[in-house]
Amino acid sequence: MPPPSSEGWQLIFAQLRAQRWGLAIGVAVGLVWTVGKVSAPKLVERAIDRGIEVGDGAAITRWALLIAVAGLISATFTGLRRYFAFREARWSEAELRDRLFAHLQRLHFSFHDEAQTGQLMSRANTDLQQVQNFIVLIPLTISNGVTVLAVTVILVRTNALLALLALGTLPLVNVLAKRFSSRLHPTMVAVQQESAELAGVVEETVSGVRVVKGFGAEPVQRERLRKEADDLYEVSMQSTVIRSRYWPALELLPNLGLVAVLGYGGHLVLDGRLGLGALVAFNAYVVLLIWPLRMLGMIVAQSQRAAASAQRVHEVLSTEPIVVDPARPVPLPPGGGEVRFEAVTFAYSGVLANAGGRVERTVLDGFDLIIAPGESVALVGATGSGKSTVAKLVPRFYDVDAGAVRIDGVDVRHAAVREVRKAVGLVFEETFLFSDTIAANIAFADPDAEPAAIERAARLAGAHEFICALPEGYGAEIGERGYSLSGGQRQRIAIARAILADPRVLILDDATSAVDPTKEHEIRDALAEVMIGRTTIVIAHRPATIALADRVVLVDGGAVAATGTHAELLATSERYREVLAAAAARDAERLGAGPCSDGDGGAATDPTGAGAVGGERFQAGLAD
Amino acid sequence: MFSMASVSEEDQLDAESAKRVLRRAGRMLRPYRRQLRWSILLILLYTASQLAGPYLVKYGIDRGIKPGDRGALDLAVGLYLVVALLAFFVNRLQVVLVGRIGEGFLRDLRVRVFDHLQRLSMPFYDREKAGVIISRMTSDVDSLQELVQLGLLQFVSSALLIVISVVVLAVVSWQLMLICLIPLPLVVVASVKFQRDSNRAYLSVRDRIGSMLSTLQEGISGVRVIQAFAREDVEVGRFGRRNRTLYDAHMRSVKIQAWYLPVIEMAGLGTTALVVGVGGWMTTREIVTVGTIAFFVLSLSNLFEPVQMLSQLFNQVQSAGAALHKLFGLLDTPVEVGERPGAVDLPPSGPVRVEGVSFAYADGEPVLRDVDLAIAEGERLALVGPTGAGKSTLAKLIARLYDPTEGRITFGGLDLRDATLSSLRERITVVPQEGFLFNGTIRDNVRVAKRGATDVEVDAALEAIGVRERFSLLRDGLDTEVRERGSRLSAGEKQLVSLARAALADPALLVLDEATSSLDPGTEVLVEQALERLMHGRTVVVIAHRLSTSARADRVGVVDEGRLVEIGTHDDLVAAGGRYTALFDTWVRGLARA
Ligand SMILES: Nc1ncnc2c1ncn2[C@@H]1O[C@H](COP(=O)(O)OP(=O)(O)OP(=O)(O)O)[C@@H](O)[C@H]1O
Ligand SMILES: Nc1ncnc2c1ncn2[C@@H]1O[C@H](COP(=O)(O)OP(=O)(O)OP(=O)(O)O)[C@@H](O)[C@H]1O
Ligand SMILES: [Mg+2]
Ligand SMILES: [Mg+2]
Repeated sequence: MPPPSSEGWQLIFAQLRAQRWGLAIGVAVGLVWTVGKVSAPKLVERAIDRGIEVGDGAAITRWALLIAVAGLISATFTGLRRYFAFREARWSEAELRDRLFAHLQRLHFSFHDEAQTGQLMSRANTDLQQVQNFIVLIPLTISNGVTVLAVTVILVRTNALLALLALGTLPLVNVLAKRFSSRLHPTMVAVQQESAELAGVVEETVSGVRVVKGFGAEPVQRERLRKEADDLYEVSMQSTVIRSRYWPALELLPNLGLVAVLGYGGHLVLDGRLGLGALVAFNAYVVLLIWPLRMLGMIVAQSQRAAASAQRVHEVLSTEPIVVDPARPVPLPPGGGEVRFEAVTFAYSGVLANAGGRVERTVLDGFDLIIAPGESVALVGATGSGKSTVAKLVPRFYDVDAGAVRIDGVDVRHAAVREVRKAVGLVFEETFLFSDTIAANIAFADPDAEPAAIERAARLAGAHEFICALPEGYGAEIGERGYSLSGGQRQRIAIARAILADPRVLILDDATSAVDPTKEHEIRDALAEVMIGRTTIVIAHRPATIALADRVVLVDGGAVAATGTHAELLATSERYREVLAAAAARDAERLGAGPCSDGDGGAATDPTGAGAVGGERFQAGLAD
Repeated sequence: MFSMASVSEEDQLDAESAKRVLRRAGRMLRPYRRQLRWSILLILLYTASQLAGPYLVKYGIDRGIKPGDRGALDLAVGLYLVVALLAFFVNRLQVVLVGRIGEGFLRDLRVRVFDHLQRLSMPFYDREKAGVIISRMTSDVDSLQELVQLGLLQFVSSALLIVISVVVLAVVSWQLMLICLIPLPLVVVASVKFQRDSNRAYLSVRDRIGSMLSTLQEGISGVRVIQAFAREDVEVGRFGRRNRTLYDAHMRSVKIQAWYLPVIEMAGLGTTALVVGVGGWMTTREIVTVGTIAFFVLSLSNLFEPVQMLSQLFNQVQSAGAALHKLFGLLDTPVEVGERPGAVDLPPSGPVRVEGVSFAYADGEPVLRDVDLAIAEGERLALVGPTGAGKSTLAKLIARLYDPTEGRITFGGLDLRDATLSSLRERITVVPQEGFLFNGTIRDNVRVAKRGATDVEVDAALEAIGVRERFSLLRDGLDTEVRERGSRLSAGEKQLVSLARAALADPALLVLDEATSSLDPGTEVLVEQALERLMHGRTVVVIAHRLSTSARADRVGVVDEGRLVEIGTHDDLVAAGGRYTALFDTWVRGLARA
């Protein structure tokens, strides 16, 4: 076997070893099948030569009964043989799939950033099916091999030359089947590949239908699909042409054997050197061997395919998770959730990227920040400045390249991953909810949570109201098979999910971007309550959300550019004003201390001053 | 692409719809009429050749060996050789021909269904789940493909073979044929039961593969959330259970095969025993010849193997039929927002007027009530209001993604419903909130907005939005693969790509539906300025939750409960003491607390 797939072989063999007893039963059952199968034509021969030809009625009955017995054996065991073969093959498929899934769940974020869902799915689906197809052939092939051997011996002992003529073409069946299988396979892969590409176009076009319609991109997508459909047609026809080359030849070869049997065998009978029954038996034996020989050819090709597939599965299984528990994990001390970044340097580096490639641009470079227990901090920065990256380093989704991230004094790399993740609750900027009930989604961190706890979390996240408006309330299914919620609603469920986990550090990554301004104060009041007694990091562009924080941190150039209260930063930091588009920082500052901070202002009561106040507010509004 | 949803729905066809499906498939096959005729001829020839072999053996025995006529024997052998070679060529031709017809049909079907999907309008996409729509083009078409590639030819020739075998066997010896019929009731009963059981098992396997795959997919695409909440163990357990039920379903189906196959094989060999036993006795009475017995023994496989084949393929045929039924159903779905006959192109530019528009989504409550709005050419209008007020709905009506239930919307004086869809899409562009990225490079993603745009144009659009330089720093520059849904870009960067599309499309009317929600305000202002520069004099409608955005617009409209309750300049509305004043106060207070 070529070396690249040798690891694939190891994977298969390890699995086979674990199932050796089941496979042994399959082989034993197959051998009994062989006995029944091989004896039947021999019995027909006897019935003709010793019964029919000599007109012995009793003998005819005896042989006919024996044929029935042989039939009973081979029939029963053909079922059993199939059953055991599939039982073992399906079992290894299921086991490997379980392992693969469990492993994927443990693999780090950077692996998943680079990998494509579709690719990983086909590891767990098509590749494992290839392995399954191979394993099912193993016990079948052993009994088929014995069948071929037994038939050859019987025929050679009856008449060597006739056996040679009858079976002479059959090794070619084997060779041809093997070549057929290996020629066909690349085209089948291509068909699969093209189907996947076509499906990809369909999936994107349907999921992104708003973009497609919004930009009038229908013709573009239509062209893409037509191209994919043409490509798929091409490769499918290639595969058909190969089928048309080999399949008829595979049928022709045994027929040539049969012609030879009739021709040479017939003359042998005429010469009295062969019984008529033996001639018929020869015929039947040739027919009997067709499938076993084809399968022997197939298993060779299938084994290569399975090894290549297993190799791909192995590649995933052998990718070591980078983010793992240390040898001796330090327990997180009870604490208020102090978060400390110490000269953190970080760059995304895809594990799957070709090794020779350049390193990605450094996102964080000497990032220093101490967040006191119970403090709330707002991270503000331009798009792509690394705010989300900072957020993702706290629960150790990635490991830093230099420096350290500490929670309550413990380097997150020195604690158990599970404990770190439990200590930190992150609301992602892109909401991902599972196709399940709302209650199950909120209770994600603790599936046994009381309904009261779920409701409390939902209330705090400002989600209780709209959930109750749904017909099934908390039991309503969401996602692919259920209700589609608006962006703001989804965000609020994600916030409730994080609240229910009750972490000591809560991180909200732009988690209120889709919440409308009328709900602003509700969310704000609720979050203010949630923040009590835990460290909170909010990433936001909106004033109300920034306002929740005790302190604002400006992220720029991969480091903390400035820190202070919103007003301080407006006053002192040019970059902060830029990021918040606060052209009139001083006005806003004045406004912050002015009458607007505690009331409706004079707009309604003092029409003459409205313009001026409105103008000020206008500028303040800009500075969100 | 992996949403295997909806396999559990209608997977069976009643006779009536089966007939309709067949007729319609027949119509679609009309372009292949000639090839179809040829292939039927070839299949007949091929089937006949399969019976010829055993018959020539009989001939050789009865006319050659028994009477000692070597000439007759050689004739039989020669004919056998000819038949074998003929079968070889016929077989080759028929595989190619049937493949060409089948694959061609599938290609036509794919293109047709997708074209129709592209014509179908938003109401359709609201009603149907994305997973279900996708599964039409994937699992449904795939089950047809499977049939075309692996089963169709065998199904047809197996059926033919049974019929021809029965006829020929009966002609050669009706007595022995009657004997062959003895196990028939058993075969029929077993096949019917097998058919029923295995169909159920087959559907349950398909269903469970679907749910295994969707659990798998959710486990992979939701892996970040799972890890964030340390729920790996629970998910692994859940997947394990799904996987286990799939294994059980597979095993049930194997068990059904494991009893059915023996019954058929037993019937076959039992018949052989009967033929040999009874036939042997009949030869002693000279009712049949030895050759005839040999013929029967060798032909029985022509009878029982196809029966088995048919039973196994029947599931495939059935689900392919059901798939075709669903696909035709999709093709028959009417296009709600379509093009009128005699539609004309929209003028290149002009004001937009919304006149007395009311609107309700398919299922219910009016979402917009009697909205009147005039947007001047080159104006910048902001829409604000609480969640669910109807802002996005109004925007979608303006882009004619839906048609109003009442009233009308005009662009440059022309009712949108009288305009050609292509001109409409060219003049009016909506940028939705999610910066939805397709698999491909950054450039590819921008190019979506304009068919055949050159790299220079694409780069200029990125430059205008101010992100060209930023992306040039990436490993492969603007040709960087964004990966799935753009996982390599930050949330704001995705929206910037989406906005670059708008810059490239350069429409007369641009609708931004919270298209800048993930951007920092600084970048947002830059983007707005860029678009303004780029789209000098063009009309823009922005929907924003950040009131700083609305403050920069020429006019602001406040939407509440489906009505346009206020409209005017920002300053006027702030001064007016209405809804907007209240909203803005909350907004400013939020800031003031900071
Ligand atoms: N998985 C990834 N692989 C490679 N590069 C990444 C990845 N995620 C983010 N980046 C890059 O890292 C930089 C910082 O991204 P990050 O998501 O932290 O920005 P952000 O400050 O959160 O921006 P936004 O406000 O747009 O959300 C960006 O330039 C982005 O392109
Ligand atoms: N496709 C749809 N099918 C049925 N109802 C819908 C659909 N889209 C929106 N609605 C309903 O129509 C109403 C108006 O929704 P719309 O999206 O226009 O609100 P919006 O003002 O844009 O809100 P948001 O600020 O949350 O985006 C809501 O009650 C919503 O539930
Ligand atoms: Mg971010
Ligand atoms: Mg909206």
